[in-house]
Amino acid sequence: MIEVTGPKILFTFSFFGLFDVTITETVLSSFLVMLTLVILSICLGRNLKKRPGRRQVLVEKVVQMLYNMVRDTMGEHNLRFAPYIGALFCSSLLGTLISMLGFFRSATADISTTITWALVTSVLVWFYNIKNNGFFGWLKGFTEPIVVMTPMNIVSEIAQPVSMAFRHFGNVAGGSVLTMLIYNALAAVSALILGWIPNAFISSIPILQVGIPAVLSLYFDLFSGFIQALVFSMLTMVYVGAACPPPAEKNAK
Amino acid sequence: MLNSAATEPFISLNIWTSIFTLCNLLIVFLIMKKFLFKPVKKMIDDRQKEIDDQYADAEQSKADAAELKARYEARLSEANAEKEAILKDAYRKAQLRDEEMLRQAQEQAAATLRRADEQIALEKKRAMNDIKDEVSVMAVDIASAVLARDIKKSEHAELIDSFIENLGESHD
Repeated sequence: MIEVTGPKILFTFSFFGLFDVTITETVLSSFLVMLTLVILSICLGRNLKKRPGRRQVLVEKVVQMLYNMVRDTMGEHNLRFAPYIGALFCSSLLGTLISMLGFFRSATADISTTITWALVTSVLVWFYNIKNNGFFGWLKGFTEPIVVMTPMNIVSEIAQPVSMAFRHFGNVAGGSVLTMLIYNALAAVSALILGWIPNAFISSIPILQVGIPAVLSLYFDLFSGFIQALVFSMLTMVYVGAACPPPAEKNAK
Repeated sequence: MLNSAATEPFISLNIWTSIFTLCNLLIVFLIMKKFLFKPVKKMIDDRQKEIDDQYADAEQSKADAAELKARYEARLSEANAEKEAILKDAYRKAQLRDEEMLRQAQEQAAATLRRADEQIALEKKRAMNDIKDEVSVMAVDIASAVLARDIKKSEHAELIDSFIENLGESHD
């Protein structure tokens, strides 16, 4: 029987008897990703020189790529968002890829993770909209271009983080479900092929599980994980960038 | 996989997972910004600035050199023109002096010649006067001689011959 479940609850503890705090696999993965990124950042950001070594050239190349991407998408005046976009992209990518280690569940295969990130994007958008147009200016924005559109605008404002969260979550979780299904299917086919062998141990070896899932994993984990991280970062850049127009345009409004 | 009986539903919102995720994202953001992006970006920008400065310096030096070259070339052509002018002037002056000298020499020569002519004329006059004196003395001598003796025709001729001979001797 194949069961599609969410992350396992590792343990629950009571927070001074006020409420129960549950620690799931997602939290563990998320914590490991955070730890990895912190260590990597500190290691890679150390000993920078004017004449870079091979490690520094690579790091600089990646950082430059990130800044170029932010500049192209959000504009020169929004370069200050680059570190956040970089952190988001790395968290998303590693959060997905951590499942490839085999011991952990992808942090992004949990809607709680992706909705949190999507809400951060929305909060940033709202914050900068209110900052640039004032609170009532922001509310007035919902009535544009005509008043009739107001409910649609509100729905789209809510749909924005939800769709972002579900897109990321669905891709990663769906990938893991598919991988699981394929594993089970391959085990069943293996059992059929090897069923004629009288030895119970040998006939139970899922021979087809060797190799085939690795190829599929290239797509479902590596490729999809990278694309989803990129899409999520890109959407964040576009939404936040739209909320922060260039200074000249802001004055013209 | 970690063994645990309890699992969450496939699609479920867990506020604690959200809070931990948010904290982790915040930590990653702050750490990456402080330890990775800021220093690396600063290094890239610094290097870029250094390169830009060097290029600007080089451009400046090039412009300076070009200006200097233009100035020296202008000065050189000026000097050339000056040289030409000086040479021309000197040539002209030399020619003038040449002519002047020639003219002076000619004048001097003419003056010398004139003086010589005058001297000759003077000498000639003086000589003529001398001769005239001598001839008169001689005429007196001859007259006295004639008066003292009876002169024959043959003596006349002899007398005249000797007179002329004497004349020639005294003139030589």
